[in-house]
Amino acid sequence: MARIIVVTSGKGGVGKTTTSAAIAMGLAKKGHKTAVIDFDVGLRNLDLIMGCERRVVYDFVNVINGEATLNQALIKDKRCNQLFILPASQTRDKDALTKEGVGKVLEELSKTFKYIVCDSPAGIERGANLAMYFADDAFVVTNPEVSSVRDSDRMLGILASKSKRAESGDEPIKEYLLLSRYDPKRVKLGAMLSVEDVQEILSLHLLGVIPESESVLNASNSGTPIILDEDSDAGQAYSDVVARYLGEEVEHRFIEEAKKGLFGRLFRN
Amino acid sequence: MSLLNYFKTSKPKTAALAKERLQILIAHEKSMQNQPSYLPELQKDLLAVIQKYIEVDQDAVSVVFDSDDDQETLELNIILPEHQHT
Amino acid sequence: MSIDPQLIPSDTPAFEFKSSTITVPVLNLFHSEISIITEQLQAKVQLAPEFFTHSAILIDVQAAQELDLTTLIEVIRGAGMHPIGVRGGSSAQQAMAKELALSVMTSQHEPPATEPEGAIKPVPETTEDKPTQTPTATIIETVTIEHPIRSGQRIYAKGDLVVLAQVSAGAEIMAEGNIHIYGTLRGRALAGVLGNENVRIFCSDLQAELISIAGNYRVSEDIDDSARATPVQIHLNKQALIIKHI
Repeated sequence: MARIIVVTSGKGGVGKTTTSAAIAMGLAKKGHKTAVIDFDVGLRNLDLIMGCERRVVYDFVNVINGEATLNQALIKDKRCNQLFILPASQTRDKDALTKEGVGKVLEELSKTFKYIVCDSPAGIERGANLAMYFADDAFVVTNPEVSSVRDSDRMLGILASKSKRAESGDEPIKEYLLLSRYDPKRVKLGAMLSVEDVQEILSLHLLGVIPESESVLNASNSGTPIILDEDSDAGQAYSDVVARYLGEEVEHRFIEEAKKGLFGRLFRN
Repeated sequence: MSLLNYFKTSKPKTAALAKERLQILIAHEKSMQNQPSYLPELQKDLLAVIQKYIEVDQDAVSVVFDSDDDQETLELNIILPEHQHT
Repeated sequence: MSIDPQLIPSDTPAFEFKSSTITVPVLNLFHSEISIITEQLQAKVQLAPEFFTHSAILIDVQAAQELDLTTLIEVIRGAGMHPIGVRGGSSAQQAMAKELALSVMTSQHEPPATEPEGAIKPVPETTEDKPTQTPTATIIETVTIEHPIRSGQRIYAKGDLVVLAQVSAGAEIMAEGNIHIYGTLRGRALAGVLGNENVRIFCSDLQAELISIAGNYRVSEDIDDSARATPVQIHLNKQALIIKHI
């Protein structure tokens, strides 16, 4: 029985797809068969971030409509054979996704996959709702910035009341806070919300802090999930997140400003 | 200048890579956009009809839509199986 | 469950009489015109059939001593009710009651209930077809919430509301009674929403967007920062909200 993780936020542009790609790759590299699904119909991005945009033949909607089988649509990652990507449709609109259709696909995937990562679109409309509806765990990606925090809170309310678990009175979705684009320097200057500030407002368990990093742009440019860049602090932070999620005790790094020596200043990450 | 360059590891210029990937992708998507939505179904139906008379592969039939300033054309290609001498 | 009667010793008590108080609706008749009574009774029952069907009824004929009980009982039974007794009847009516196997109630038999014995009326007065309340007082339970209330969520409590976690900005909690928040209130809290001015809001950390009691409200801008991070209670005094430290 697969564990379904939704990566969501409410706010757009905070790092959901970056996170989905990193987490899925991280889990797969640890030996768990993982599928990552793009729920953003019409504005697909996951394939780009994963670097498989030229291998897309069939998509999520094709599978739901029976125009293709899951096997035909799933793209096996070239770097890790435990990782599979199900891209979103670029040409249909959001109504093409149905609760029933999504449920069936997830059920089929659950038979052979250990983890299913659902990359949610921004907003609280159909795509976002369907991405979270069947979830067991939720990674709520938040930037230390007022609109993002407010939107995350809104999304938390929806997770608590509109998911399948909520509707059937089962144990609710486990909610995790992923604070991304964190800049300890600016937090120290009092110009950015701190981890404590965000936790206080959201009242949520902290899964990890991902520092703001130039390496993230390089990763998406080259179609490589950031977690594969072992020199990158953001990449390392995602590795920590995966380990923590799987039950390891990992101390939070990247919350404090790194003490950089002479060489550190030369090799700016 | 030389000492600093010596220490600096050369990072791949990923922006150029990104540009290349996007050019390919967007060119492909532009061509896909103009395609009428009935094409996949049409291809499936045509294949079914052909298969009633000749045994052909699943990918033997292809329907390609093309448009330029003057006209739009629908090009149908059917690859027949190799002729078997009895 | 049935026990073989042969196994029960004959000197074991088989029952006991116990004094008990029950409340029963009373049909208070104002006159003896049976046709009018019938018509009105049937109309009343139509409004709320489930309420009346199979309900026990006590008939008070103090003001209807010329009434023929037999006809009346037929009408009442026809309407689905079960008369169990007659009160305040003439001696002729009392005799009739006994014949009809109804008990004759006198003031001694009246339960020391605080129920107002008035004309029977289906509660509520609206034409809803399913009133679930009986004429006894309904206890409205306090709504208790133990999880954080998130932005965009709205909670409504018919009585009191107790929240044992935070209320996020953008959330709205409403109660007809009091509101207690054992956490930070960043959203909107409206108590006494149906007009009860005697309710209060209790909060351990007041950072609300808006607070209101019986429609009298105050927004965040007008709430002093000194109320933050410390337990406060808010009540209404002559249309003005008073915030006091606890």
